[in-house]
Amino acid sequence: MKIEAKAVEALLSGNHILKGIDLETGDRELVGVIGPNGGGKSTLLKCIYRVLKPTAGAVYLDGRALDGYPYRESARRIAVVAQHNYYNFDFSVRDVVLMGRAPHKRALDRDTAEDYNIVAESLETVGMAAFADRSFSTLSGGEQQRVILARALAQRTACLILDEPTNHLDIKYQLQLMDLVRHLDRTVIAAVHDLNIAAMYCDRLYAVKDGRIAGQGSPAELLTPEFIREVYEVDAQVMTDGGGHLHILFHPGMEKAKEGSL
Amino acid sequence: MGSDAIKRGLFRGRPLYLITVLALLIVLPLSILAAVTFGTMRLPMGEVYQVIRFELGRIFLRLPIPEEWAPGTPIHDVVWLIRLPRLVLAAAVGVSLSISGVIMQAIVKNPLADPYILGISSGASLGATVAVMLGVGLTLGSNYVGIMAFLGAFCVSMAVIALANVGGRATSVKLLLAGSALSAVCGAFSSFIIYIAHDDHSTGKIVNWTMGSLAAADWENNAAILAVALAGTLFFLTQYRTLNLMLLGDDSAITLGTDLHRRRVAYLVVSSLMVGFAVYNAGVIGFVGLVVPHGARMLFGTDHKKLIPISALAGAVFLVWADVLCRTILPGNEMPVGILTSILGAPVFIYLMARKKYGFGA
Repeated sequence: MKIEAKAVEALLSGNHILKGIDLETGDRELVGVIGPNGGGKSTLLKCIYRVLKPTAGAVYLDGRALDGYPYRESARRIAVVAQHNYYNFDFSVRDVVLMGRAPHKRALDRDTAEDYNIVAESLETVGMAAFADRSFSTLSGGEQQRVILARALAQRTACLILDEPTNHLDIKYQLQLMDLVRHLDRTVIAAVHDLNIAAMYCDRLYAVKDGRIAGQGSPAELLTPEFIREVYEVDAQVMTDGGGHLHILFHPGMEKAKEGSL
Repeated sequence: MGSDAIKRGLFRGRPLYLITVLALLIVLPLSILAAVTFGTMRLPMGEVYQVIRFELGRIFLRLPIPEEWAPGTPIHDVVWLIRLPRLVLAAAVGVSLSISGVIMQAIVKNPLADPYILGISSGASLGATVAVMLGVGLTLGSNYVGIMAFLGAFCVSMAVIALANVGGRATSVKLLLAGSALSAVCGAFSSFIIYIAHDDHSTGKIVNWTMGSLAAADWENNAAILAVALAGTLFFLTQYRTLNLMLLGDDSAITLGTDLHRRRVAYLVVSSLMVGFAVYNAGVIGFVGLVVPHGARMLFGTDHKKLIPISALAGAVFLVWADVLCRTILPGNEMPVGILTSILGAPVFIYLMARKKYGFGA
C-alpha cells in the first residue's frame, strides 16, 4: 500500500506550519521523517493520519484521496502510534489492545475468539504478553508505548505511522522497537528524532524544515555533514562502521562558539 | 500490588463479572419484593404477596382476582397502587441516573461528571417547572412535562460542554464551574416561576421535585420512564466500543476509525432523555450517577462492556434500598430520597475530587 502527500499545507492557530509538502512512500517501504523540532514533522504526520485536515493539497492512499475514505476504512489501512497517550481512566493492557479491533467491528458485533487471539499475538510481538492483565496506567512510559504499538498491530493494517515512537524509551527498547517495525513488512512512515536511529533503520528519509521538504533520499545520500549543518545548524561527522552502518557523530556546540567568539 | 489490584478493578476476570450480573438480576426483583413489605403501614407479609400474585395473574393470564384482594380493598391499593409502582419507579430512576452518569463521564472524560453535578438535573427540573406552572409544551402530548424536562436537560448538557470548552480544552475545574453556574441559573429561574405563580398545590409538587421524591409514582407514568430507561440502556450497551474510545480522546478515536463528534451529540440526546424522564417522575436525585459507576469501576474496571450492565443493575438496587431507608429512617414520616443520596454521595464526590489521580486540569 502506498501513501502519497501532494502539496500539503496546514495552518495551526493562524501559523503556516506546512507550506506545501510532497511525500511518497513505496509499498512496504520504511520512510523516516527527520528535521528540527517545530519544523512540521508531527503536523505532517497528523495530516496523514487524519487528525488534521490539510488547508491545501491532499493525502492519497493507493491513489485515492484520503478524504474519500470513511474513518473506519482508513483505520483499517493505517494504524498510528502517536506521542502522548495519557488516560484519565484505568484500562487493562488487554482492553487497550482490544480497541485496535474497533475499526473491524460494527456496533452489534461481539469480540470473537479471533479478536482475542490477535490481541494476544500483538502483545507477544511487542514482548508485553505477560502484562495483559496489568493496568495500563501503572506501566512505564516505554511499556505504554509498546502496548500502543501492539494496539496498532492489532488493527492489522498495511500501513503504520509512528510519531516519534522512541521518545520515552531506553536505548535498548529504541533498538528493539525499531527492529520490530523493520521486520513488520508494512509501509511505515516514522517521525524520528535521532538521526542515528533514522540512518540505521529507514529505507529513505525526508527532512522537513520550516514547513518544507529540505531534502530527501537514502540515509547515505542525504545525511552528509553539509546537509546536517544546513538543517540542524550543528557540526557533525558521518562515518560508516565495519558492518556498513552509518553513524553520525556530533561535535560539541561550545567548540564552535569558542571559535566564533575568538 | 494491592493498590494496583484496586486500580484495575478487583474482579476484572470474566466469570466473576458474569456471576455478578446474574446475581444482580436476581437481587433486583428480590429487593423490590422485600421492599414492598416496608412502610409506615404494617401489612402481613403473606397478604402483600397474595396481592402481587393475583395482580400478575390478572395481567399475564387474565385470571380474575378474588374479592378480598380486589382493587378498592385497602391492602390491594397500598401494595399495588402505592408501594409497588414507587419501587418500580425507584429502579427505573436508578438505572437512568447511573447510566447517564456513566455516559456523561465518558463524554467529558472525567469521572466526576454526574447529571446533578453538571446541572443537567436542574435543567430538567426547570423544563418540568415551566411545563407544569406555565403550561408550556402542552401541544407535545400527554407526556409533555417529561418532554420539556428532556429539553431542559439537553439544553443544559450542550451548554455545559460548550461553556467548559471556551478558551481551550475542557478541564475538571471548568466543567464543575460551568455545571454549578448553570445549575444556579436553572434553580433561580425555577424558584422565580414558582414564586410568582403562587399556586400552593403545584408549589408542593415542585418542592418535592427539587428534593427528589418517589412518592408520586403511578403505573401510567412508570410505563414511559421504564421504556426510556430500558431503551436507553440497551442502546448504550451496543455502544460500548465507542464509549471506550471516547476516553482515549478524539485524535486516538479517529485513528481507530470513529469520529466522535456526531456520536457525542447522539449520546447527549439519549442520556438527556433518561435524565429528563427521571427528573419528571422523581425530581432531582443527586450523586447516584457518580457513586454507582464509581463503585462499579472499582470492582470491574473501566471497560464499558461491563460497566454499563453492572451500573444499570446496581443503580436500580441502590435506589430501591435508598427509598426503603427514606421511608423507615424517620418514624411516622418519610424523608425525600434526594436528601439521602446527597448525604451519601457528596462525601464520595469530595473524596474523588481530592484524589490526585483525577487532578484538576488533567
